[in-house]
Amino acid sequence: MSSSKIITLVIALVIGAGLGLFYGWAIAPVEYTDVTPDLLRQDYQVDFVLMTAEAYQNDFDSATAARRLALLGSEPPATFVTSTLEYASANNFTAEELRVLQALLTAMQTYQPDENPAP
Amino acid sequence: MKPFLQNIILQTALALLIGFGLGLAYSWLISPVTYVDATPALLRTDFKDQYRIVIAASYSANQDMARARARLSLLGDTDPVGELSAQAQRMLANGEPFEKARPLAQLATDLQRGYVSEPFTPTPFPTFSTPQAQTSATAAADQPQVNEEATITPIPTVFFEQTPLSTPVTGETSTPRPTFTPTAGPGVPFILTSQDTLCQPAYSRLMQFMFMDARRVQKPGIEINVTWDQGEDKFFTGFKPDLGNGYADFMMEAGTVYNIRIVTGGAFVADITAPTCTDETGAEYPGGLLLTFQQP
Repeated sequence: MSSSKIITLVIALVIGAGLGLFYGWAIAPVEYTDVTPDLLRQDYQVDFVLMTAEAYQNDFDSATAARRLALLGSEPPATFVTSTLEYASANNFTAEELRVLQALLTAMQTYQPDENPAP
Repeated sequence: MKPFLQNIILQTALALLIGFGLGLAYSWLISPVTYVDATPALLRTDFKDQYRIVIAASYSANQDMARARARLSLLGDTDPVGELSAQAQRMLANGEPFEKARPLAQLATDLQRGYVSEPFTPTPFPTFSTPQAQTSATAAADQPQVNEEATITPIPTVFFEQTPLSTPVTGETSTPRPTFTPTAGPGVPFILTSQDTLCQPAYSRLMQFMFMDARRVQKPGIEINVTWDQGEDKFFTGFKPDLGNGYADFMMEAGTVYNIRIVTGGAFVADITAPTCTDETGAEYPGGLLLTFQQP
C-alpha cells in the first residue's frame, strides 16, 4: 500500500472520529434521566435549601433538615445553607426568606448527628 | 474481496465509518456529556419523591399554594396532584406513619380545592441553649463570607386578623345570644349509616368508604383497618382528594369475608363481602359497596 493511500485512510479515520465525537457530544449526547440532587442547577439547589428552611420553621427538626440537606452532597449541611444565604443575599431574597435561612444555618451549625442517639 | 479492499473510495469510506464509530464510542461511553445544571424533572424517581416531601413540608409551614404549585411543576409530572396522592399512599403502604404522609395529602387536597384548607398556626420559636457567642465564632471561622449574626428574631404569635370584640351593651337593645348547637368532637365514634350495593362493572369488587362528621363535612385522615382470613390492610381517608376528603377505597376479592375496624373513631363492621350482581346478559359478577360512616 502506497504512503499516499495510508495518509488518505488516516485522514478519513480522523474525519470519521471527529464526526463521531460531534454527533455524540453535540447532536445526540447521552441523556441523563436519573440524576441526583447534587447535579441540580444552583438556583434549584438554593430553592431546595429554602424549602428545607421553611419546613424547619414548622417542626424545628434539625435531624430531618440535615437529612434533607444531605441529598445535595456529602459536605456538612451548614455549608449548603451558607452558600444559599450568600446567593439569597446577592439575589434580593425577601427578609423573611433570609430570616428562615439564617435560623436553619444556626441550627445546622449547632446540630450534632449523634446528639440524640437512638435507644 | 481483494478488489474491494483495493478500491480507495471504499477504503476511505470504511476508514470514515471506523473513525465515526470510535468517536461515538468515546463521546457516549468513555467521556459522555456530564450534566451539572440539571432540572428537578431529571431527578431519579426516589429523589423526586424526596423533593415532593420537602415541597409539601414547606407548604405546611408557609401555606403558599402558588409557590408550591410552581415548585411541583418543576418535577414535570403530568398530574402533580395525583402524584402527591399516590406517593402518600405508597408511604402508608410502606408502613410510614400518617404524620409523615399527611403534608403530601394536605397539599394534594388544597391544590385540588384551590384554597388553603387548614389555618396557619405559627409555632413559637424554640429557645436555643447554645451560647450565641461561641456559635458565631465558629461560624466566622468556617464561613467567613457570612456576616449576619445568628440571632433569633421573634415572630408574631398571632397570624389571623382578629375580629374586634363588640362593646358590651347594657341597655334593653341587646340582641339575644345565638343558641349553642353542640357538635361532635373529633373523638366521637363513627356509625355506619348506610351500606349501598353498587352494581356497575366500573365498581366491581371496589369497597368504598365515606366518612363525615355530624355536619356532613367529609373527614380526612381517618384510619381504616380491613382484615380477612389471609391478611389485613390499613389505609386512610383523604388520599384521593378528587373523590372527596372523606373518601377511601379497597379492592375486595370475590368470596372473601372482610371485617372493618375504624381505628380513628372506633366503629367495627363485620362480615362484609362483595355483593353478587348480574349484567345485561345474565352473567353474574362481584359488585361494589359504598359504606358511609357518620359521627352522630
